[in-house]
Amino acid sequence: MVRSALRSALGAGFMVAAMASASAQVLEIGADAGPTGLDPHLITAFPSFMVVNGNIYEGLTAIDKDLKTVPGLAESWTVAPDGKTYTFKLRSGVKFHDGSDMTAEDVVASIKRVQSKDIASPLASRLAAVESANAVDPQTVELKLKEPSAALLSSLATIAIVPSAMEANKDALQKAPVGTGPFKFQEWQPNGFILLTKNDAYWAKGLPKLAGLKFNIVPESATRQVGLSNGQYALLPNIDAATALQLKGKPNVKLAETMDLAYTLIGMNVSKPPFDNPKVREAVNYALNRQEIVDAALFGAGVPGGPLSPALKSWALDVNKFACYKPDPAKAQALLKEAGVATPVAVTLKVLPRQDVKDIAQVVQEQLNKAGFKVELVNQEQGQFIQDWRNSNFDMFASINAGQPDPDEYFYRTFRTGGSTNVFKYSDPEIDQLLDQARSQQDQAARKAAYDKVQQKLACSGPVAHLTYGTLFSAMNSKLQGYDVMPNRSLLTLRDASY
Amino acid sequence: MNRVLLARLIDLVIVLFGVSIIVFLMIRLIPGDAVAIMLGANTEITPERMAELNRRVGLDRPIVEQYLLWAGAALRGDFGTSLWTGRPVAGEILLHLWPTLELTFLALLVGAVLAVPVGCLMAQTRGGAADVAMRVTAIAGLTIPSFWLGIVLILLLAAWAPGFASLGYVPFSEDPVGNLQRMTLPAIALALPILANLSRLVRSAMLDALGQDYIRTARAKGLAERKVVYKHALRNALIPFLTSVGIMTGYLLGGAIVVEQVFAIPGLGRLILGAIAERNYPLIQATILVVTAGFVLVNFLVDLLYIVVDPRVRA
Repeated sequence: MVRSALRSALGAGFMVAAMASASAQVLEIGADAGPTGLDPHLITAFPSFMVVNGNIYEGLTAIDKDLKTVPGLAESWTVAPDGKTYTFKLRSGVKFHDGSDMTAEDVVASIKRVQSKDIASPLASRLAAVESANAVDPQTVELKLKEPSAALLSSLATIAIVPSAMEANKDALQKAPVGTGPFKFQEWQPNGFILLTKNDAYWAKGLPKLAGLKFNIVPESATRQVGLSNGQYALLPNIDAATALQLKGKPNVKLAETMDLAYTLIGMNVSKPPFDNPKVREAVNYALNRQEIVDAALFGAGVPGGPLSPALKSWALDVNKFACYKPDPAKAQALLKEAGVATPVAVTLKVLPRQDVKDIAQVVQEQLNKAGFKVELVNQEQGQFIQDWRNSNFDMFASINAGQPDPDEYFYRTFRTGGSTNVFKYSDPEIDQLLDQARSQQDQAARKAAYDKVQQKLACSGPVAHLTYGTLFSAMNSKLQGYDVMPNRSLLTLRDASY
Repeated sequence: MNRVLLARLIDLVIVLFGVSIIVFLMIRLIPGDAVAIMLGANTEITPERMAELNRRVGLDRPIVEQYLLWAGAALRGDFGTSLWTGRPVAGEILLHLWPTLELTFLALLVGAVLAVPVGCLMAQTRGGAADVAMRVTAIAGLTIPSFWLGIVLILLLAAWAPGFASLGYVPFSEDPVGNLQRMTLPAIALALPILANLSRLVRSAMLDALGQDYIRTARAKGLAERKVVYKHALRNALIPFLTSVGIMTGYLLGGAIVVEQVFAIPGLGRLILGAIAERNYPLIQATILVVTAGFVLVNFLVDLLYIVVDPRVRA
């Protein structure tokens, strides 16, 4: 009797607690790494991007969960017929977190800030085509381009709009971000947490629903899992299949998944033997068994990948269209013979220090060794890997790269002769011409036709053997509503989430 | 006494100076510099922009000039700013110092304080079943890696007391109960190996001491066994014990990286690890100097304790 009374009293206590939590509260997020800085024009790493993009800062445009470019701080825009003038109409009533109004001046200053030599923003190349930015009136911005650039609208989603006073200020934004987003910066304890609180003056009425976001930095995967199961964390964003499988079916935990835009790859240096010979590169593709890689290294949660992610539904070709994607070690051996190289072909494969990439590299080694190669794996420390990558100091490397919503953003810099991330030293006149052509056109069908040819050619004899696209998971408390995992790993849907 | 202090102070200055040069050079010998790592793999950037970023963080100057600039500022108490966040290095270190100090204190409290009676008991029951059982446990405690122990403790606690907040860190001043709740498991994970190590040490030192003539004399004159063990033998066994505690404190002050990693505690270990991975030169230099100074100071305190414990040192 006493015990049951006690139990109902306890039950009532829980009800009260549950009702309290139905009102807005801070969402506890378990993140594997913290941001490396907060200046939105300086950071490029995933952990920083996740905190800043769409939460603290917004761009003129935004990328939605289907990877379509949608209005952001610009309500609408028009493009001149020659593709060289873009006019943006800004949303009215947008305020920065410091209370000032966001106007065309701020947009112009933000673009100039990214382009400024002094700030040295790594994002500058995304605005390389922009010749000038002008404020026509407080609500209208005009961008003049040197040449047409079809990916500009998509790229603008990553250019955060900051107050015009920051144009020449190098340091202030690193410490105290001032954006227009649904959450504003509150506190950052490196290695501990970063706390954002609700922006009450947010332009979209009624949003955000959460009182704030707290990114707890928890490097150990097992710890994050326990934290989610015991309710200390409510969201583990962008986790891999191995972690997701362990959380599957746990009480009060639900999973969301999407196709990842990021891809794993083998890069080949075409400036020296043996990969200067396209036949050897083709042999690599025939030797690979991508489904086996997905099964062995990704626990089956992924798909064999071509040059573009299947998440890019309007662009990507079906991998069955590529002849070399049918695994055929005998054909690979024959190609090596045709190429006239001495077998086994001894090469080194430098491996990015990430568990998923290491796992994949081992499977790749095994597969290539069966088809006339002799692959030596070289596990590298992060800094060493990056340095060798940048200096083209490799035969082959295994890595994972973030994908981009527009094919131009990936292909042009990676495969165009002299492209800024063309560390393979690849150069092909036909590819160059197709990439130039696709960049200068607005017509979707014509661009698609050009990129189809590019994909077809790159798939088998390009400098990159694209391996897999993983399934990207987020695990969350079953009470969390309205959050969607996005292929580009952005957390901007937290704006609409409630808990 | 003053001369001892002065000599120690000179030692400290020499050690810090040497360490500052070694750290400064070594961290720059590792391939891949701060700017390259900050940008990461597959970032589009022209060599000119790389050069600008290098200039921005001051890595374009000759290395001797970099050292002199840094050392000069450090002497005035300015350790510079973090290359990545632009925040003052001194503040970052201070933030990470508290969790480490607390963890060190708790782990030593549990480990060292328990080690004395456990070690004495082992020595007294030498060869008996209790001694064997404790020695086997101690070896297990020594060989189980603390990160594994940490994960197992987290999982066990999650199964038994799901509501117990065991992860992360909140300052004691903000939430004393939450702070202690979160510190319990990591302190245990750190204390067990310490307890195992020290109790074995106390045991062997006590066995040594108990075999001495003066112990026989003490027993012969009819002293109670407890007095013999704790008053006469223990005092002689304390010197090696103190030395060990000093060295362990030094290591713990450097941050218990794996335990901090497992329990998501923002301590010095993770600060150093992160700073090295991102080649955050000013942060690495200052943190290692602080840790070195801590190590030297702790050993100095131990030397002072020798004087208290052992009258022969006083002479």
